[in-house]
Amino acid sequence: MAPMPSALKFELLGKCSVTKARAAELHLPHGPVPLPIFMPVATQASLKGLTPDQLEDQGCRLCLNNTYHLGLKPGQATLDAIGGAHKLQSWPHNILTDSGGFQMVSLLKLAKVTEEGVRFLSPHDGSPMLLTPEHSMSLQNSIGSDIMMQLDDVIVTTSPDLARMKEAMERSVRWLDRCIQAHKYPERQNLFCIIQGGLDLDLRRQCTAEMVARDTPGIAIGGLSGGEAKSDYCKVVDTCTGLLPEKKPRYVMGIGYPEDLVVSVALGADMFDCVWPTRTARFGNAITASGMLNLRNVIHSEDFGPIEEGCRCTCCRPTSEGGLGITRAYVYHVTAKETAGAHLLTMHNVHYQLNLMRQAREAILKDRYPQFLKDFFNKLYRGQKEKYPEWAVEALRGVGVDLISD
Amino acid sequence: MLEFTILKATGALAPRLGRLSLPKRKSIPTPGFIGNTSRGVIPHISQDNFSKSLNLNGVYVALEDFIEKIPQKTPPVFQHEGPETLRKFIALPQDTLIVLGPRRNPPIPSPLHSTNKELGVLTSVGFKALSSEYYAAAARKLQPDIVVGLADIPFGQEAIGIKRKDKMSDRTEVWTRDIIAKKATIDKDEPSWGIFAPILPIDRDLQSWYLEHLVDDMADKISGVAIYDAYLLDDLSEELHHLPRLSFHAPVSPHEILRQVGLGMDIFTVPFLTDATDAGIALNFAFPAPPKDTNASSRQDLGLDMWSDTHATSVIPLSEGCECYACTKHHRAYIQHLLAAKEMLGWVLIQIHNHAILCSFFAGIRASIEADTFEADVASFERYYESALPEKTGQGPRVRGYQFKPEEHAKPEKKNQRVFTKYDDDKIAELRLAAAHGQQPGAKPETRDAIDEETLVGLLGLGELNVDGARQVESLKLEDDVQTSQ
Repeated sequence: MAPMPSALKFELLGKCSVTKARAAELHLPHGPVPLPIFMPVATQASLKGLTPDQLEDQGCRLCLNNTYHLGLKPGQATLDAIGGAHKLQSWPHNILTDSGGFQMVSLLKLAKVTEEGVRFLSPHDGSPMLLTPEHSMSLQNSIGSDIMMQLDDVIVTTSPDLARMKEAMERSVRWLDRCIQAHKYPERQNLFCIIQGGLDLDLRRQCTAEMVARDTPGIAIGGLSGGEAKSDYCKVVDTCTGLLPEKKPRYVMGIGYPEDLVVSVALGADMFDCVWPTRTARFGNAITASGMLNLRNVIHSEDFGPIEEGCRCTCCRPTSEGGLGITRAYVYHVTAKETAGAHLLTMHNVHYQLNLMRQAREAILKDRYPQFLKDFFNKLYRGQKEKYPEWAVEALRGVGVDLISD
Repeated sequence: MLEFTILKATGALAPRLGRLSLPKRKSIPTPGFIGNTSRGVIPHISQDNFSKSLNLNGVYVALEDFIEKIPQKTPPVFQHEGPETLRKFIALPQDTLIVLGPRRNPPIPSPLHSTNKELGVLTSVGFKALSSEYYAAAARKLQPDIVVGLADIPFGQEAIGIKRKDKMSDRTEVWTRDIIAKKATIDKDEPSWGIFAPILPIDRDLQSWYLEHLVDDMADKISGVAIYDAYLLDDLSEELHHLPRLSFHAPVSPHEILRQVGLGMDIFTVPFLTDATDAGIALNFAFPAPPKDTNASSRQDLGLDMWSDTHATSVIPLSEGCECYACTKHHRAYIQHLLAAKEMLGWVLIQIHNHAILCSFFAGIRASIEADTFEADVASFERYYESALPEKTGQGPRVRGYQFKPEEHAKPEKKNQRVFTKYDDDKIAELRLAAAHGQQPGAKPETRDAIDEETLVGLLGLGELNVDGARQVESLKLEDDVQTSQ
């Protein structure tokens, strides 16, 4: 097969000498982004009440849109008329879109997968519809995302049906070939393949080999974050990254808890996305280095400190430094009562996630990532090592970092 | 201190130009408007957007939005370190003027009828009684720039008897005297505030004692008047004409703003802005109106219904020439998409735009008064535009108990649509079957039972308030009603 054109440049800047962590610069059609990176999810071309400027203010230069949602609303015809998702939402930076397949399975509980594509009932009128690899590519071409994902056959990793798992893995490879064929603009949009194979490491190895052979500009590890044990998750990521070429970005789909991010980076992954930080913000939860804070709890009603001491987000920064000086007490006052309360916490949480990856990157560049990991867990669990999650300790031991000793 | 300069006046019951200014605050050119907050924010406008995208020099804040737990517990806002406790708490810029009043605008009728000592108010957890003493203490602690005096007005009551009106006037006088007296006890070096005395929405005869005393005893102690019925401006004593007039007579349309301006009103709070935003209506009018196209037979709409899918591929701004963030950065197609997708950003952008339209509208009014063309401009505005805002067709954000409008309480239907329903047994069986055949949707244990975000309408229905105002209002028998019928 002829090498696929690529619309990105991956510039490896540093590697951790102990773990598999990497720091890089990913040059995309709408500007460079630092790796490792967390990508907030603007499902329907909007990040939960934030303006593109506010998202930019938190340091975001690459966010997600969901193909399935944009395909329904505003629809492909409108996207074509407007000229794509960047123009729709006035976002001058990069966009990554999923294939739409995951939403079919997770939102439309009765979707059925055949070789042709995913059959489902229209949520509008209940009429039967079909999402094929070709259709997914066509939609993502209309959206104009900087990174687009192949349509894959997603099943939950915990499924005990190994035959079905193998079938899904092999079908995902065949669908990648159809996606490559159907992709109209490889010179300006990057298609990423998605490695499937559930928790079976042999299947994952086979799939990785097949996918790597197709030489897409970037590679995703999919089908995870579906309720599998964290230790199994780590084994899959570790196995896959071990087989991947060094000079390509690696994206683990649907990952977003801070612990998961820092461990996955140690296992050699570069890119992550998750709706959790923005969703939990709307429930009144703030992410901090020492854990989650539920600001709807009355104990915060008289707490006049920032959401997180030292945080540089728009909300937490003091007014003397150009921030808003928002207090926990004020968030308590408005959260779940005024939409602006959700906007404030969404900004904070997005900033936290982006900043966590920024700090990880700095540590990798200074070759201090093992120490960064130790400091991270120490702070999160307030020095109580007995509370460190077993899976994280185990996974990091596998890449040469012992969180428990010293 | 607070200074009001009348720059141009052409007599009583006529439009006038002025400027309200206070050291360290942006001055407010009048006629003008200030932002109407809910729990310390302009609805949908986070504090960073307030500074960046709204061109507002002042806001109105209601004390009832902050005093949930009185009298059992000291409200958190009072425990915030000073100075300028309220400003710090709501993270308002230093140069924005704060007007503090007891009640939201418009207020929700309180079934707790006022007594000689206390005013009935509504907090987000229920109805409370607010004493004049408490109000003065709150003002001292919160340090707003202007405090609107307590007014005994039985909101929502259709007919008010003569006796009740007497009482309104008596109590309002007592409370106005009280806050003046309390303010006088504050040390010279302690920050103070200006007092706006309420003028009740009843005939002059029925509040004549109060108005006389206001002129005789209090005129030099107050900095302005708060007007609850603009059509009674006629009755305002000449001795009070030098004072700025803040309207609590909520206009329902720009035409009504023009009418009030024509009577000499200075400062407005404009609740219809947020109402239009929540309804998905982007205001679209200018003053003076553009030259009328002689071929056009019909009048122009005052706003665009952004729910309409006619905007779906329209990449033009909400209003041609508008310089707001929404119009310079985004287009109609996106805003229509956001509403249809129930994304909160839709309301954010429309709210920014609606405020910008009103800013320009008032700038136009001032220029027109300056140029002595106000009357003619009003006439052509009325010929050019429809008399009312477009009807709401789409669904707004979830409303809370404290946000219901008085008339909505009477409606029997649910205030918010249900965001999810339980599956019936057949559906559950069907899903079980599908799950058994291998296509069980993946779900983490910790999110499995969470409400799916796609079903959410704007904000989550958490912390739902248990204020069934409608029932409370109906079931309560008002002492005053009894008096009226006697």
